[in-house]
Amino acid sequence: MNGLTWNIMLALIWVAMTGNFTGSGLAIGFLLGYLLLGVTLRDVPRFSGYIRKVPRVIRFLFFFIKELVRSNFRVAYDVLTPTDYMRPGVIAVPLEAHTDGEITLLANLISLTPGTLSLDVSTDRRVLYVHMMYLDDPEAAREEIKYFEKRVLELLR
Amino acid sequence: MMDVVVWISFIILCLALVVTFIRLVLGPTLPDRVVMLELMALLTMAFIGLYTIQSGHSAFLDVALVLALTAFLAAVGFARYLEKGGHRDDD
Amino acid sequence: MMTEWIAAGLLLTGALFMLLAGLGALRMPDLLMRMHATTKAGALGSGLIMIAVAVHFGETGVTARALAATLFIMLTSPVAAHVLARAGYFTGVPMWSKIVRDELKGKYDEDTHTLAAPQRYRNKPPADDGKAPDDGAG
Repeated sequence: MNGLTWNIMLALIWVAMTGNFTGSGLAIGFLLGYLLLGVTLRDVPRFSGYIRKVPRVIRFLFFFIKELVRSNFRVAYDVLTPTDYMRPGVIAVPLEAHTDGEITLLANLISLTPGTLSLDVSTDRRVLYVHMMYLDDPEAAREEIKYFEKRVLELLR
Repeated sequence: MMDVVVWISFIILCLALVVTFIRLVLGPTLPDRVVMLELMALLTMAFIGLYTIQSGHSAFLDVALVLALTAFLAAVGFARYLEKGGHRDDD
Repeated sequence: MMTEWIAAGLLLTGALFMLLAGLGALRMPDLLMRMHATTKAGALGSGLIMIAVAVHFGETGVTARALAATLFIMLTSPVAAHVLARAGYFTGVPMWSKIVRDELKGKYDEDTHTLAAPQRYRNKPPADDGKAPDDGAG
C-alpha cells in the first residue's frame, strides 16, 4: 500500500496548494495524483501493483452496483408475482478463496446478488453453503458463483 | 417539489412499516421476528434520512449512523443467543 | 434544479424498494426466502435514501457521513443476514415444503459446532489455514 500513501500525500498537497479544503477538492487531488503516479512511476515495481489495482477496484465497484440493481429488480419480480414457480434449495459450492477477507467479501457479494444468499462456510473452509431462489440446475448455479469468486479473487490477489 | 416527494416517501415508508409489522406479529418463529426487527431498523434509518431532508438539519444523519451500528450489533447478538441455546421456537 | 430532481428520484426509488422489502417479507413462504427480499431490497432502499440526502445537501460533511452510512449498510446487512440465516437454519426453522434440494442437511454437528463439507469436496488437497495462499494462483 505504499502507492496509496503516496497518492494520499499528493492529494493533500493538491488541497493545500489550491486552498480548496473540500471533499471534491480532495477527490480531484486524488485523481490527479493517481494520474501522475500512473504516468511517471508505471515501471517501478514498488508502485506498479497499486497502479494496476485502482482500476480493478473501480471496475469491481461498478460490477457490484450493477449486480445489486439487477438483484433488486429480480426481488421485485419475485415479490410481485405468485410464489408457485420458485424452486428454492441449498447447494454447496467448493471454495478456492482461502483467507478470511476473501471469503467474507465473496459471501457478502453473494448475499447481495440475484437469487442467492450465503448461509455458512464449512469448518474446513472448503465449501460455502448457498441458498438459491431458483435452483433448476445445481451445476449452473455453482458455475455462476464460481464466476463471482473469480471476480473477488481478481480484486484481492 | 421536494416537500411533496418527501411526504410521498413518508407515506410509502409507513406502508412498508405496517407490512413489516404484520409479518413481525405473524412470526411464525423467533428468527423471522428478528429479521423483521432488522428490517425495521433499516426502515427507521430511511425515516431519519427523510426527516433530515425535511428539517434541513444534517445533524440527524449521525442518529442514522448510530442506529445502523446498534441494529447490526443487535442482529449478531440475537443470532448468538439463538445458537447458544435460547428458545428454539416461540410458538 | 437538477440536483433536486435527482434527489427526488432517488428518494422515491429508495422508498419503493423499502416497501418491496416489506412486501417480500410478508409474502415469501419461509425464513430464508424472506431474507432474500429484506437483505437486498432493504440494503439498496436505505442506501438510495442516504445517497439522496447527500445529493440534497451537497455539502462535504453530509456527503461523507451519508456515504459512510451507505457503505456501512452494504457491509453489515449481508453479514447480519448470514448470521441470522445460519442461526435460523441450525435451530431448525422449517423450510418451505417445495424446496428442491438441501445439501446442507445433516452436515452440522450440534455438539462440536463444526460444519462438514460434502463428501465429494473433501478429497481436494488440503487448504492452508488462511495464513498465505500457497497454491492459490491455480
